[in-house]
Amino acid sequence: MPTITLTSVRKSYGSGPPAVDNLNLEIPSGSFTCLLGPSGCGKTTTLRMISGLETLDDGSITVGGRIMDSIRDGLFVPPEKRGMGLVFQNYALWPHLTVAKNVEFGLKVRKTRQAERTERALAALKMMQIEWAADRYPAELSGGQQQRVSLARMLAVSPEVLLLDEPLSNLDAQLRLDMRAELKRIHDETGHTIVFVTHDQLEAMTMATHVVVMEKGVVQQMAPPMDVYSRPANTFVARFVGSPPMNLFDVGGDAFTGAVRERVEDERPGPAGRPATIGVRPEALRLLADTEQATEADFVFEAVVKAALPTGSSTTVLVTAVSTELYLLAYGKVDAAPGATVRCAVRPADLHLFDEEGDRLPEAAAAVPAPAQAEENEENAATWTS
Amino acid sequence: MAAATRSPADTPPPPHEGPPESRLSRLRYRLSVIRHAPTGPLGILLITVLLYLVVAPLVAVLSDSTRVQIGDEGQAHQDPGSLTSYYVWRVFRSPVSELLFWKPLLHTVVVALGVTALAVVLGGSMAWLLTRTDVAGRKWLSTALVVPYMLPSWTFALAWLALFKNSSSGGQIGILEAWGVHTPDWLAYGQLPIIICLGLHYYPFVLLLFGNALRRIDSQLEDSARILGAGRGTVAARITLPLMLPSLSSSVLLVFGRILGTFGTPYILGLPVNYDLLSTSLFRAVNSQQRGVTAVLAGVIVVIGVLAIVVDTRLAREAKRFVTVGGKGAMDRRAPLGRWRRPAFCVALTVFTAAVLVPVVSLALTTVTKTPGVLRADNFTLKYWIADHLEGTPGFPHGVLRGTQLYEAAWNSLRIVGLAALVCGVVGLLIGYVVVRAGHSRVGTLLRQISFLPYMVPGIAFAAAFLSLFAVRRGPVPALYGSISLLVIVLAVTHLPYASRSGISAMTQLGREPEEAAQISGAGWFARLRWIVIPIQRGALVTGVILPFVSGLKELSIVIMLTTSGTELLTTLSINLVDYAYDQMANAVVLVIALVSFLATYFTQRLTKTNLSSGLGG
Repeated sequence: MPTITLTSVRKSYGSGPPAVDNLNLEIPSGSFTCLLGPSGCGKTTTLRMISGLETLDDGSITVGGRIMDSIRDGLFVPPEKRGMGLVFQNYALWPHLTVAKNVEFGLKVRKTRQAERTERALAALKMMQIEWAADRYPAELSGGQQQRVSLARMLAVSPEVLLLDEPLSNLDAQLRLDMRAELKRIHDETGHTIVFVTHDQLEAMTMATHVVVMEKGVVQQMAPPMDVYSRPANTFVARFVGSPPMNLFDVGGDAFTGAVRERVEDERPGPAGRPATIGVRPEALRLLADTEQATEADFVFEAVVKAALPTGSSTTVLVTAVSTELYLLAYGKVDAAPGATVRCAVRPADLHLFDEEGDRLPEAAAAVPAPAQAEENEENAATWTS
Repeated sequence: MAAATRSPADTPPPPHEGPPESRLSRLRYRLSVIRHAPTGPLGILLITVLLYLVVAPLVAVLSDSTRVQIGDEGQAHQDPGSLTSYYVWRVFRSPVSELLFWKPLLHTVVVALGVTALAVVLGGSMAWLLTRTDVAGRKWLSTALVVPYMLPSWTFALAWLALFKNSSSGGQIGILEAWGVHTPDWLAYGQLPIIICLGLHYYPFVLLLFGNALRRIDSQLEDSARILGAGRGTVAARITLPLMLPSLSSSVLLVFGRILGTFGTPYILGLPVNYDLLSTSLFRAVNSQQRGVTAVLAGVIVVIGVLAIVVDTRLAREAKRFVTVGGKGAMDRRAPLGRWRRPAFCVALTVFTAAVLVPVVSLALTTVTKTPGVLRADNFTLKYWIADHLEGTPGFPHGVLRGTQLYEAAWNSLRIVGLAALVCGVVGLLIGYVVVRAGHSRVGTLLRQISFLPYMVPGIAFAAAFLSLFAVRRGPVPALYGSISLLVIVLAVTHLPYASRSGISAMTQLGREPEEAAQISGAGWFARLRWIVIPIQRGALVTGVILPFVSGLKELSIVIMLTTSGTELLTTLSINLVDYAYDQMANAVVLVIALVSFLATYFTQRLTKTNLSSGLGG
């Protein structure tokens, strides 16, 4: 199974800012990698460049050591020769061919014998549990069934790299759940390298072995899903991943944030303890019962409840500490009438600290010498704004 | 891997090679891309061919109008080929310019205003009846009332003569005259009949445009006004009418553009009293071999036509600011007419009678009676249709269904128009393919604009321009005048705007995914076209061929100057018979065309489920 390497890839449309800028990415062999980001962040462009459907303005792409695009060497391998599989958001089944013919098509253009074609198409349809629809036309199938056919069409030619462009976004909630399991199963069974584009962080968190968070054509963070969640590289990732999103507030905004900063500076001396923005996940905030005593290490503050939004399994509570609004996620039902004053607690270790540029400050233990830190920040800033 | 890769600093950017080498490798990359997906080169090829076929004729006109033509050196006092303002002077300021240009221009303006007024009144009121009321027989009327547009425009002119012609011009007298009612010249020929005949032909155009707009108006807008206390009349005047203004201005300008390029009607009705429009004046200039003057006149018509379209697009853009997007209130809302249902139907029926029944019946009558208007048994005859030998018509000495002329013309029409339609449909789809595949690149945009250009050039001026370009050998292109290919090209190019528009919309609807899916599956360019794109677009291709075919069958203005005795079409045959004053036979031929074109349109609509408004070609 091949590793996909993108080096200094740039792509722009028209005269606007580049859709993808100076992208360096190594997608490990056999991984299930999710490109995650809001719409227009360049994730689909990246996927289409890997497939060859988009060309590059600069840089190179290799797959398993084979050069697919290289501006420097003037090399380009057309999509039809890359031997990849791609599933489109709207499935892109050919309306004039039956399901079986749709699935066979890739084998037909490869000049495979008819008998083998039929056999392999059927095997792919069986794998997707849609073989009963072989003689139907795509228009006669539901969205979920069409999606299965489109996966079967991709699998029939046994590509080593599977590319999926938001394949689940047009499905309803139940089907989406089923298809997630289905995709995980395919990954486990075949061991293919899968690159998956989505704007849905839940999809990325549940399925991927690696998550690449993108914004404005630039990779913000690449890490396993839990790392992205627990150690977001910057405020964008912090805000984008997690639901409800991480609470982020600038220090010095009011008495509450000032108190939080003082506490942080006490715990983490040096530049690493002087954040510009502090974040805390809603589930890291605890509501203290009337009599409950917080532990010594906790930071405790008073807040006024503005609204409580129960979902059944949990309750999202919106509180105001001085003038800072915070979301708080508590399990089960919570007695919090609007207007009531409550006590909240958070472990200082659960606070995420970010500098002026929005980048995550290193942990106190692994503090790097200050000058080097500043330099790196500057470079980051350059990338950030370019 | 786990480290944040946001900063690209850890992988040094590739060292910048020297500019030439870097540019070279970039070029090699581009070429390699193009080799595998030749959309770009195909687009450039199409642009080049279209530029030659659309722009070159216009350039030729410009050149002809400013250079002394052979034979004119005496009048111009200059050598042939040298730059001159002689033709411009002749058309605009000379003693003959009154006759050549100013009067025809005045006539064109008057006729255009009259026709537009008539078409708007008829079409607008009928559109309102059909879309906003429960008039009796709505469904039937909505088909019947657009029939005039399916007939060749000059059918009405011939019918007019069959009814009103007096003895002051050659040939048979009209039915009224035969009944002893004297028809003065102002009623029989010239301005009034031209306005009425063209108005009857063009009102369905307004009806369709208006009907669509009326249907699209969000009736909530009208309801809100009613709730605020406005009466029906106030709503119509203050809400509905202003909302209709964009489509009103659009139909006025489009009809105006058509009249600028229309030839048959003014030729037939204007000739006996020397009432010229710009189009007929241009035709006279062509016929009398005045190439320079022809070029100037054609240029003027083109400029006016382009101006009309430009003003129209300007107004349309302006109108977008209050465009009436169909909301959920955009359902059919019909006012009950109560006891006026039947009278309203009778009004609509009167329009149908005047626009279809009377013309067709009177034309048919002239072809089966010896003396017009006399309805006695011994006066009826089929000789104009089937006689083997006719007296007094040496140019056409037999019934129209006998001999070979009709069939040769029909065969010519079929193959020339058919070939043009085929070319048109295929090129239209290819243009759609390139425009959609090339996305927002310059090639796509340019191609879309160029394929729309012929729309701005009135038909007869375009024909004149083609004549300028192809009458003589130019470089590697031989003189095409008198050949079938010239007719095929000119018909294909003039109908291209419609074909390419439908091709673009078909390809846009399909999107690029099906082809990309095939590409990913391993199919090369030809395999993709053959197995995926063309099979899926089969329907659109058929429509793209049939619509130009139907509209090309009744085309006259464009082909009248370009046909020769070997390439006679049905339409030009009928005009030739008019020239000979063989009225009965001309009428018979025009009835044949009307029948063919009506049937073709009708079945096309049935077959492709399109409607006329999307194929307003001819």
